[in-house]
Formats: sequence, C-alpha cells, structure tokens
Amino acid sequence: MKQKSRGFFRSGQKEKLFWLLIPVMLAIALLFMAPGAAAETKPAYALVNCRIFPVSGPSIDRGTILIRDGLIEAIGPADKVTVPDDAEVIEAGGLTAYPGLISGHTNLFLEIKEQEQTQTPADFMSAYTQPSEPQEFPELQVFKEIKPKKQTVESWQKAGITTVVVAPSRGIFQGQSVILNLNGDQASAMVLKQPWALHINFTTERGGIYPSSLMGTVAFIRQKFYDTIHYSLHQKKYLSSPRFLKRPEYDPFLEALMPFVVDKKPVVFQCNNQEDIKRALRLVEEFKLNAILAGCNEAWRAAEHLKKARIPLLVTLDFRPPGTSLYNQQGEAVRKKAEAEIYPGNAAALLKENISFALTSFGLSESSFVKNLQAAIKAGLSPEAALKALTIEPARILGLDRQLGTLEPGKIANLILTRGDLFGEKTRVVKVLVDGILFNYEEKGQ
Amino acid sequence: MKNLTRQSILIPFLILILAGPAQPVLAAGNLLIKNATILPVSGPPLSGGDVLVVDGIIKQIGRNLSAPPGTRIIEASGRYLIPGIIDTHTHLALSGTNEGTEAITPEVNMAEVINADDPAIFTALTGGVTTVHTMHGSANVIGGVNVVLKMKWGQPSEKLVVREAYPTLKFALGENVKQSNRTLLPGRPQRYPATRMGANAIIRRELLRARDYMAEWERYEKLKNSKNAPPGLLPPKKDLRLETLADLLRGKLYARCHAYVATEMVEFLNLAREFGFKVAALEHAWEAYKITDELLAAGVGISVFIDSWAYKMEAAEGIAYNAAYCSRRGVLVSINSDSSERVRRLFSEAGKAVKYGLTPDEALKMITINAARQLGLDHLVGSIEVGKQADLALFNEHPMSAYARCDLTIIEGEVYFDRDRLLREREAAAAPKGGN
Repeated sequence: MKQKSRGFFRSGQKEKLFWLLIPVMLAIALLFMAPGAAAETKPAYALVNCRIFPVSGPSIDRGTILIRDGLIEAIGPADKVTVPDDAEVIEAGGLTAYPGLISGHTNLFLEIKEQEQTQTPADFMSAYTQPSEPQEFPELQVFKEIKPKKQTVESWQKAGITTVVVAPSRGIFQGQSVILNLNGDQASAMVLKQPWALHINFTTERGGIYPSSLMGTVAFIRQKFYDTIHYSLHQKKYLSSPRFLKRPEYDPFLEALMPFVVDKKPVVFQCNNQEDIKRALRLVEEFKLNAILAGCNEAWRAAEHLKKARIPLLVTLDFRPPGTSLYNQQGEAVRKKAEAEIYPGNAAALLKENISFALTSFGLSESSFVKNLQAAIKAGLSPEAALKALTIEPARILGLDRQLGTLEPGKIANLILTRGDLFGEKTRVVKVLVDGILFNYEEKGQ
Repeated sequence: MKNLTRQSILIPFLILILAGPAQPVLAAGNLLIKNATILPVSGPPLSGGDVLVVDGIIKQIGRNLSAPPGTRIIEASGRYLIPGIIDTHTHLALSGTNEGTEAITPEVNMAEVINADDPAIFTALTGGVTTVHTMHGSANVIGGVNVVLKMKWGQPSEKLVVREAYPTLKFALGENVKQSNRTLLPGRPQRYPATRMGANAIIRRELLRARDYMAEWERYEKLKNSKNAPPGLLPPKKDLRLETLADLLRGKLYARCHAYVATEMVEFLNLAREFGFKVAALEHAWEAYKITDELLAAGVGISVFIDSWAYKMEAAEGIAYNAAYCSRRGVLVSINSDSSERVRRLFSEAGKAVKYGLTPDEALKMITINAARQLGLDHLVGSIEVGKQADLALFNEHPMSAYARCDLTIIEGEVYFDRDRLLREREAAAAPKGGN
C-alpha cells in the first residue's frame, strides 16, 4: 500500500489521475485512521532540532537530517544543513535520532508449525527402526516462505528494529535466509539481500530419521561437506574436459550447498550452547568456511576459543540457559537465578574480552527484546557498545555497512526517533523511518 | 533430568560450587599428603606414608617427606590413599548416547558431544573416580569412536580429554543390537540384523567394504603419482563411515565390544583375527568364565559388572564369580559402572570381588591399574608411583571395605572434591536461611 502510494505521488501525472485517485486516497485515509502507525512518504523530509547519534561519529546536540528518496541526503548540526523548500519539515525537538536497529537473526513472518513431539512411545520406537530419507532443505529460500504482516512490522519498529535477517527454522541444513527492511508488508519491496546465508543448526529433533543424535548430526554435516567438495571437483573436471569422464549425477542437495561450501558464501551456525560454539569452530576450521555463529547466549563460556577464531557473532539476547547447561539441571530456582543474573552478563563479558559481536532478538518477543537489552546493559554492557552491536556491527556482518548501520549521507534512511535515551526504561520510539517511509507512533496529546 | 533423586542430593553441592569464587578448591598441582596408609597398587602398602606432588606429578613417596614452602599439606593419618579410580565403561558427560537409527555408525565420535556440565562428573568425583572411558551405547553393531575423560569438574570440555589413551571404537552384539526387546510398529520394518548371526555377518560385510575403500584410495594415489595419470582421474569419495573402519583395520583404533554370551565373544575374536584388528577389551562379557583359554590366547581382557547378572535372557548364565575366576586364570579384568549413578560407588562394586575369591589388593587393581592397562594409560595413571600423574583418592577406610567413603579426590595434584569442605560450606550456606 505504502509502496503504491509512493509511486503515484512521484508519477507526475497527478492532474490526469486526479479523479481516479480520489477513491485510492480515501482508502489510504481510512487505513490511516485505523489504530497503529501512520505511514507516509513524502519526496523529502527534514528532521529538525533533534539530538543525533550517528554511530559513525560524535553525537550532535541540535541537528538536522535531510532525507530524500529513501536515502539520507545530508546530516549535521542545525546551522550547517540547509532545509530545502520541497522538504516536509518534521519538528523533532526533544527527540533523539539513532540508526534503525538491526536484528541479525530472527524467524519473523514464518508460519512455524508446532514442533513435533518426540517423546511419545511411538516416536521412541521409531528411532530404532530403519531410517527414511533425511528431511533437509539446504535449497530452501526462506524468502519464498514468508508472509510479512503489518502488525509484526509495526511492533518490531516500536522496539526500534528496522532491519532483520529472517532465517529458516527447521532441520539441520535449514535453508537460506533473507535480509529485509521492515518498511511495510510487501516482501519484495523489503528485500535488502536475497538469499543471504545458509543456516545450519545442531538439532536432533528429527524423530527416527538419521541422524537422530547430536553425534550423528556432526557426522552428517561433515559427510555432506565432503560430498559437496567432491561433487564440485567432479563438475569442474567435467566442464573443462568431459571426454572419458562420466558426468556427475545431479544432486540438488549438494548443488544447494556448493555456493556455501566451495564458493564460501556465508554460513550461519546456530550455537545453542557453549559446546555448539566449539563444534561449529571445528567445522569452520576443517572446511575453511566463511562462517558466522548465531545464538551464542553462552559465548562467554567459550571466550578463549572465540578470541582465537575472530569469527563474527550474532549473539541473542535470549537469556534462557540451554538444556545442556549446568544451570538447567538443578531445578527451577537455579535456572531462574541464572537467567536473571548470569546469562545477561554474556555481552558484557565478550566486550571485556575484546570479542566483537552483534546482538539479536532471536527467540524473543518485542517486549522481551527491549527488556533484555536493558538487562544486558545493567549487567555491564556499555550503552555505546550496545548501540554499535545493534547497528554498525550487524551491518558489517551482513555485508551491508555501506548502506546501513550509521547515519551518514548516502546511506539508506533507516532511523528511529526516541523520546529519552534509547536504552532507558521509559523511553519510547515515537517515529521510525525505513527506506525513507515515515511511521508515526506518538500518541495523541504528547 | 534423567535421575531426579541423584540430583536432589547433589543440588546443595552444585550450588555451592556455582556460588563460590572461581575454582577455590584447586591448589595448583602442588601437594604434600602426610601420614596416609598408601595403597600404591603397584607395590606393597606403606603405612604412615607421604606423597609429594609437584606440578601435578608424583615426585616422591616415603615417610617424613618435606615440601617446598607454600605447598598445601593434607594431613591423612588414619586414612587410605589410593590411585584415582578408573571406570572403563560409562556414558557420562555426553549429549546423547546412541545414534540409534542405523546399525553401523562408526562415523560418529563421542569427542564431538562432550558435555562438561553433566553433574555426573561431580558424582564420579564423590566416589574417587578420576578417569572414565565414556562410550557410544550398545544400540548399534558398530557404534562410534569413544573418548577418555578426566573428571575435572568445572573445566571446559577440551581440558577433560585424555589424548594419550587408546582411541577405541564401540562394537555391540546380542540382544541390544538385534533389538530382541523392541515391539515392531505396524508398517515399520525390523532393522537388520535381527539375529546374532546377522550381527556377525554385518560386521564382516562392513569390514570388507572398508578394505575395498582402502584399496580404491591406494589405486587412486598410485595413479595420481604415475607419469601417465588419466586426465579424468577423480579421487574416490571420502566416506567418514569407512574411514573409521579403515583406521580400525590399519591398527589406529582398538575395538571394544559389548558382548554377553560365550559364542558371540569367540566369534568376535575370530573376526578380529581374520581382519587383523586389535581388541582392547570385551564389555560385560558375562560368559567369559567359559572361554578364558580363548581370551588368554587372544590377549583380550574383559570389563565387567561384579554381580548384577540374570537381568535379561542373555545374562542368564552370568555368575558373580566371573571377574574373580577370569582374573585368577590370568585374564586382564576391570570392573565398570556403565552408569552415572553406580560410578560413585565403583569401589564398593570392586569390593564385592573379595566375597567371590579375590584379595582386597586384587580387587582394587580392577578399578585402577587393570583399567589403566585396558585404556592404554598404565604409563600415566592407575597406580601411585613416582613420575605418574597425581590422580589420587583418599578414603576413610580401606576402599574395599563396606564402610569405605571417599573424602578427597585429586586429579593431577589438584583437589576436585573435598567432602569436609563441601559439607562445611553447605552448612554455612544453609544457616542464614534456617531458624524456624
């Protein structure tokens, strides 16, 4: 809807289309009266008199941000930036502007089916019968599966997030993720990078299918990687000289893995506990992958390994101790204590060890994300580091640091305006711009 | 999660360890233990004996030893010092035991799934256990590669692994692999093999495949290095399953085979002879007493329970004299726990061997030096000797006594379990909460 309206206004055929437009505009007006955000797009906006945290440099106390055609045109102190005549001026006195936050790992917009129960007697029995073919989807592109919803977009915007990685969520070789700007509910218009990375999870929730255990999962992953290398070698030989060489048998599974295993496109390993981190690092080392570790809420426990590996991390703010953890094996009281007092210190501990990382909302609701972010800061993470870990750090990891992550001229106009410091308990996100589309969240009377 | 009773007992201990400052129990590998009755296993007992440990290694054994200033001194008069207990067959500290979907899974490796957070490590320490051989389960004819761990509670997983131990591959025969006790679901076929003869046949089949695989690679290497290598020459596909079996055939891995009845054990030894692979021990081996000649001829030891026979059909002819009899016949025997609970009282299990004909010293060997020999670690641990790693356990009584209790467990000169201290700390932690 927003994309459409933007197109009409910029078509330059207003006169001719005037009569046709009336019903459309009425419809838009009706939409905007519904509760939620008031989204609008003008050719240019000038945000004036706001405090600015550009992340790329020192903060500006009273500045202006010019936005045109979805991009940042100019940014600076009020006396240095001239507001052009055609810009819609937005008075932002008392508000603070930050780059839109990036969550480098989510399962948003996926119609997640309920996890199969593996604890029934029938499932237990089936684990001891002949295996069927593994249900794995390395070729799955999650972009084709997602159904963006306006409500979801708005609720995450209100948490400050304007860009997300949507990762697939099932199996070991889970498929390929997409990076989206939360600018509306039209999937194609939201895409920043498609596909982005192959996602791998050390899961064992597979019923009676090989591999049904963690040890089998590791072996299965390694075998598939070796198969891919061999498959690619065979293909290359065949392409260069097919005479006296039998053609390689087409294998969609290995075809899907080739770009990641051979051509070194990014692979994201979901690390659900400290041992998963070590497991992933061993695989990265063995196969020289261009890898990123996600999850990692026990990363501080593997700090020695991470310091050596210097690998990008997408660290979730989910503080629930993993099932294997010591803290999860001594009853509810110990588990809760760990969730409240130990796991929130993860990011601060990584910072202390000089390990760089991005923070994500993986596994969290909007409100838990905001609450847990504050808890991480309370546990010692500096607000500056927290801001970087949600802006420029993820932008770098996603390969989007030339477009996103800071407020600089030429970058995509993804920014949030808050009343109060970003990580304050009473702070509210009151305006959000994504791709230059404005969303207003300020309640009436404020 | 698996065993609630055990954990509820452990909770106070664990919380104390969590709450306390980092590694307060550790003493940096230097110790002087004074006035103990030392049971070195490798030689006669020494009463009023001292053991000096420097940098985790036993430096001196004798009377009236002195230590460099600053060394922690443990007064042990009236108590028994033994080598740290070694359990040759457990499944603790692992995330998962079986890859049970297929009968042949040598591609899996226990070293990939160590969980250093498993409270069973602490459980083991409370019974003086310092080293365990933690293995793939017995669901598969060929399971996975096992790993030997020291019970360094609180240390990260990689610090637990004992790399000097024999690398071993788990095999299993009999009821567990032929799945005698499973009810088949409609529409689900029975997994092959379903008989003992099938189990034997599938091992032969897989080892023959591994031989072919090795030959294929040899052919490739030869062609690759020859002057007239064909242009379309491709390396064979790397097969992790067959790689492991090839390592077994090359002698880089030792087999450890779960087996109960005499016939299947003899057949397995025949397979080993036929294919020329090494067997480190047979597991459980209830009918070993029937085949001691064959075991001695093959030079293969056994790792057994002491007296829990007849719990299923294939254990029906098990006898409690198995360990003692085989040992007297010269077979290398160790007693194992195969359990994250029994591991804390493995010394009592060994003690029962005294009832069945062994001396206390002989019984103690079955959980120390014999176990070390079966794991290929007798040059490092398993007895109290100068130059060996200082893995030690201090008991209030002779450890083969029914009244024995482990008070202190030491690994490489560091105290990992101190019963008195933990009890004191537990009381201190409980005190402010008390007062009705």
